[in-house]
Amino acid sequence: MMKIEAIEVKNLSKHFFPSMKERKRIRMQQEGSEKGTKNNIIQAVNNINFSVKQGEIFGFLGPNGAGKTTTIRMLTGVLKPTNGSISIYGGNIWKHPIEVKQILGHVPEEANVYMDLTGMQNLYLIGKLYGLSKSERVNRAEQLLKQFELFEKGNLKAKKYSKGMKQRLLLCMALMSNPKILFLDEPTSGLDVKSSRIIKKLIKEYNENGMTIFITTHDMDVANELCHRIAIINQGKIISLDTPDNLKKLTQEYLAIDCHFIDTVNVNEIKELHSIIEVQQNNSLYHIIVKDINVALIELVDFIKTNDLNVKQVSTNEPKLEDAFLKIIERGVEN
Amino acid sequence: MIIKDNEEIFSEELKSERFFIQVKRSFAIAKKDLKIYYNKGPVVIQGFLFPLILFFAFTVGRNIIPIYLISGLMAMVMFMTSTSIGPVVFPWETRSKTLERLIACPISIKTILLGNIWSSFIFGCVFSIVPLLLGILFFGLWASINILIIILGIIVASLAFSSFSLILSVPPTDMPANTMILTILIKFPILLLTPIFMPIHAAPYGIVSPLTYYTDIINVGLGESSAFGPHGLLLDFCILILFGLGFTFLAFVLHGKTLQKRFRG
Ligand SMILES: Nc1ncnc2c1ncn2[C@@H]1O[C@H](COP(=O)(O)OP(=O)(O)OP(=O)(O)O)[C@@H](O)[C@H]1O
Ligand SMILES: [Mg+2]
Repeated sequence: MMKIEAIEVKNLSKHFFPSMKERKRIRMQQEGSEKGTKNNIIQAVNNINFSVKQGEIFGFLGPNGAGKTTTIRMLTGVLKPTNGSISIYGGNIWKHPIEVKQILGHVPEEANVYMDLTGMQNLYLIGKLYGLSKSERVNRAEQLLKQFELFEKGNLKAKKYSKGMKQRLLLCMALMSNPKILFLDEPTSGLDVKSSRIIKKLIKEYNENGMTIFITTHDMDVANELCHRIAIINQGKIISLDTPDNLKKLTQEYLAIDCHFIDTVNVNEIKELHSIIEVQQNNSLYHIIVKDINVALIELVDFIKTNDLNVKQVSTNEPKLEDAFLKIIERGVEN
Repeated sequence: MIIKDNEEIFSEELKSERFFIQVKRSFAIAKKDLKIYYNKGPVVIQGFLFPLILFFAFTVGRNIIPIYLISGLMAMVMFMTSTSIGPVVFPWETRSKTLERLIACPISIKTILLGNIWSSFIFGCVFSIVPLLLGILFFGLWASINILIIILGIIVASLAFSSFSLILSVPPTDMPANTMILTILIKFPILLLTPIFMPIHAAPYGIVSPLTYYTDIINVGLGESSAFGPHGLLLDFCILILFGLGFTFLAFVLHGKTLQKRFRG
């Protein structure tokens, strides 16, 4: 028997018809450039294809307005696609919304808990809406509040919670029904270290216990640390889909040397060196992008000696996922 | 059948089971509505302040016989309270960003609307007791009262007006105040067309207002005879039930259409 993917998306598109106000704004933007719109339609998601395997953490990465939230809203049955098909374990969320939603958990972007209810009441409400029995509700709520370090505050109204606590409560709500697939739309954005660390740790744990997780984020560390595969989306299209390591390899042909000079140095003089591709100056820090690290270091030492410069610190850098991301986005725009 | 190979993933209920499951979940929605909305501005203004102000505006300086005083007050309180939560829930939840979480739950928009109807229904019933007690305690209406008719009237009318009030939040705005304007533009004419604090036949245009039929039920329950002849009471109930069913159906259809517009990027 063929194994069914947790999520399978084919030719998925979502177009919005802008309101009068937005149409005006778009027309002003478009003066000179042609950007993502055709006949005044906003193409938020434009014919994307991908599948997510059972037990995988799948990341969706992209700049603001790329279409991440729109995609997640279609996958969770909130927005109706303009085109294409979504299958969740072979089930069609638009034909059988109740049955399919029953196995999903969702933390929407900018979502909120009910401020006038306590943390516990928020969880009970969700438990009831997913059809948990009373004892299941009580046990599960207690277990989750403890895991997310909210148990002492469980009987406090949510309006007294900090932002990080609200986000953790939202995660508890999404996990209340022990879903097969968990959707997270920027779960750590704007949170302090403590909250985002708890959240990251538990995402990992739940995944190790078999939960499939679909996550969108701007946070490269989150993507790098958690995701098994990452899709990069820009202007409604997936422009790259691979493991974090493979994405990083894209930048491996280039390396960077970070050099702190005590004296001021003319950027153009460094650029004239043979093996150096690009130099970015930030106060006394020079971020030097090079082709061959050995040749570049020798050249740089020569340069320092002949100009009699004082150096505070030199370091070479691994390519970061962030560099890969920027590079892919840039290339996508050029094409 | 969702898909043959995935029986262990999706649980499938029979159609009848699915209906009861959704009704049960709508009670959870109603409980949440009652906990959250009883003290929200638009609800308080429409549910308490307006009835109070209108009561004095209608009655001060007029000599009104007790039955019409109580039935008029009951009609006004019923209409105002049972229509106070319905228009607020959707814009409020859109604005406070709780709607998307709710829609992603395994419930349909009908379940949410049904939950809103229950909560408005309870609101309407509870507050109808106040003027009724007033009538019994201060005006000695106890002697001629038919409590069964009154209770049935309260139940049917608060269900009917609750479902009617859902129509007022169909426009996909996230400002509760916006629906207030629509609410006032529609609710006040209905109230003004209803012959309250006076005999129903004194105002023949009253037949266009659904509230007239509730007033008639209460008049009968307090010992009057129906303004609509020997089968008047039956007519009253039939009209309110049809009114309620019609607007429930309309709310299901129209909210289904505007729901998507509530999720902006
Ligand atoms: N309901 C809507 N009506 C009109 N346009 C919309 C709507 N929702 C989203 N958009 C537009 O679609 C595009 C994609 O938006 P989306 O919210 O999916 O981006 P995103 O990748 O989640 O961005 P962010 O990182 O800012 O969250 C944007 O240009 C947005 O303005
Ligand atoms: Mg987003």
